[in-house]
Amino acid sequence: MQKFKLTTALMLCVTASPLLAQDIVLQYMSWDPSQLEVEQSTIEAFEESHPGVIVKAQAIPSNGGYWPKLTAQAASGDLPDVMMMSSGFVQEWAQAENLLDLSSLVSDDEWTNYYEGAASVGVVNGKRVAFPQNWVAPVLFYNIDMFEAAGIEVPNADWTWDDFLKAAHALTIDENDDGRPEIFGFSLYGRYAHIEPWVFRNGGRYLNDDLSALELNEEAINALQFLTDLVNVEGVAPKPQDMEGIRQQDIFPLGMAAMWVDGSWNIANSREIVGDQFQWGIAEVPRGPDATDETVASYAWADMLAVSATSEHPELAWELIQALAGEGVEADDFLGGKVPAYIPVAESEEWLETDQLPANKGVLLDIGASTIYAGFSPGWSAWRGYAASGSGGMNGELDEVFNGRKTLDDAVTAFVEFGNDVLSRQ
Amino acid sequence: MQNRRRIVITALVFLLPTIVGTLIFRLIPIIWSFALSFYEWKVFDKAVFVGWKNYAHIFTSSISLDVFVNSAIFSVIYVAGSLALALVLAVVLNNGLRSSAFFRGAFFVPYITATVAIALAWRWIFSTRFGVLNNLLIALGVENPPAWLADPAWALPAVALVSIWKDVGFYMILLLAGLQTIDPTLYQAARVDGAGPIARFRKVTVPLLTRSLFFVLIIALVRSTQTFEITYALTNGGPNRASTTLAFFVYQKAFVDFEVGYAAALSYIMCVILGFLTLVSFYFRRKWVHE
Repeated sequence: MQKFKLTTALMLCVTASPLLAQDIVLQYMSWDPSQLEVEQSTIEAFEESHPGVIVKAQAIPSNGGYWPKLTAQAASGDLPDVMMMSSGFVQEWAQAENLLDLSSLVSDDEWTNYYEGAASVGVVNGKRVAFPQNWVAPVLFYNIDMFEAAGIEVPNADWTWDDFLKAAHALTIDENDDGRPEIFGFSLYGRYAHIEPWVFRNGGRYLNDDLSALELNEEAINALQFLTDLVNVEGVAPKPQDMEGIRQQDIFPLGMAAMWVDGSWNIANSREIVGDQFQWGIAEVPRGPDATDETVASYAWADMLAVSATSEHPELAWELIQALAGEGVEADDFLGGKVPAYIPVAESEEWLETDQLPANKGVLLDIGASTIYAGFSPGWSAWRGYAASGSGGMNGELDEVFNGRKTLDDAVTAFVEFGNDVLSRQ
Repeated sequence: MQNRRRIVITALVFLLPTIVGTLIFRLIPIIWSFALSFYEWKVFDKAVFVGWKNYAHIFTSSISLDVFVNSAIFSVIYVAGSLALALVLAVVLNNGLRSSAFFRGAFFVPYITATVAIALAWRWIFSTRFGVLNNLLIALGVENPPAWLADPAWALPAVALVSIWKDVGFYMILLLAGLQTIDPTLYQAARVDGAGPIARFRKVTVPLLTRSLFFVLIIALVRSTQTFEITYALTNGGPNRASTTLAFFVYQKAFVDFEVGYAAALSYIMCVILGFLTLVSFYFRRKWVHE
């Protein structure tokens, strides 16, 4: 009998031991498979420093189902402990109470090491619901060889919109005088990263203070008019419809336009396409004539990490975020124009990559230190016209203006009406 | 009696997987999505009951109404174009065209080719400045050929054209099968009676092919309301929504804007329209389909 009891006790010990020593599993979901690959070493180091903790990481590209998957998980109450969070969606996700308030976890000392401006979009209703990992900003790309051939100075911090326009004229070349320039001084579409940098640098705003309605101020309208004239009056930028068939991000690196404004993440693509065919650099978008020191702002936003409000291990999740966004990161983790939110890494020689083009990546750090405005609101992707909704909203209307089929007034009326309808249903 | 009971139980056991599968994956989602159409729900937040608000908004929004008009135009071009072209190809191949086996395969290939690959090729063909089509038109003396995919007047017809090109091989095979059931002696008799090729086509081929034509009509009608991949890859619904049709709009609302209740309401409206068109087609069937 005693032997039976002993055997039973031993069996219980054997079967129960895995339960007693069960690992804590932290789920981490990213939208960037290539970045997750370089993050693996950080994750392994985190697991080593936290015995008994396993990080289960997966990456689904943002254009390959990340948001539908995350949304479905939110609906089933099964959100990952740590997830990447977009500046464009953070407000809606926070309002739906899916994200943990990190305010009490982030010390003031900690913030001195981070670019707070670009990351301020992670604060919703006074709560810090997402923590910055990296940030991006639209910049003015310019072809140094073309500037030199035209005998003009490359853009600098003191450039005005007049300087820009003069340069755009000088750089627009119609080799066979058929009225269709082979090389344009500039290139733009109606997309957010092409337009907002000009609007915000002119002191313009689309939204009212509580983000509940589109109320474009005069500075915004003036900036949109300036951009419209570049295409339809000055003829220094092509109509979007004439460039159909070429990816908009390839126009500049293929040498079809001497200047272009788009997100800094395009540095990687431009390096790949340009190779050593020409020299190029980046500059901040020139400040507009209507801007004052109080109203001028740069357009930038962060890719952030957030902790699920239902996470059973919020402290551990926060520590994982610190590892992924803080001291654990290396310059190599950030490709091309993604700026590490952690300042010591962003300011390192490794990240500045002065041996590669653009040689002046430090321009991005100046933007990070300036006043930032992101202009996101709930329903932003719909009213702005983003991703698979990109053919509509403000994007679609502005392309029609640049194509010369609509007046700016009509387009503004149309997208404001549509946008306010979207916002009223948020 | 016991034997009969055993037979019923056995039948139920065999049917159970299908019944459960249909319930879980078909009927319950269909009913659930209908209920959902009365809610505002972003999926990641709480659902709010809004009654008929989603439906009311759809019927008063100029954007939704434009999408319905786009869908109707697309369906007309697609159905008429597919039927006409498939019929011509089937008749030509059925009349002993040399290498007809090769052409049969060639016309069918686009149907089984990945849509994204097709769309990429057509984007290059339609490219405004660098496309094959416009360079050909310029060589022929056309001064300002259209921006096919970036002009609201041309984008929807261009999407419809590519959709027809992709699917016509499938419809052609269906019609070819119908043509091969027609008794050749009927053609011989018509020829003896002095009927020429056009008269034989009108008086023999078309009447005896109406059942196949009706089948193709219904299939094409249904497919025309479901167009998505080509729109997504070719124009993304643009420019300025000019080529956004209902299925693409449902996708935008559900998976980009996350207005799932609104998307469900759109789906049910699409379902009602499709059901109505199918009923009308069946009603008029007796007037032109030879049984």
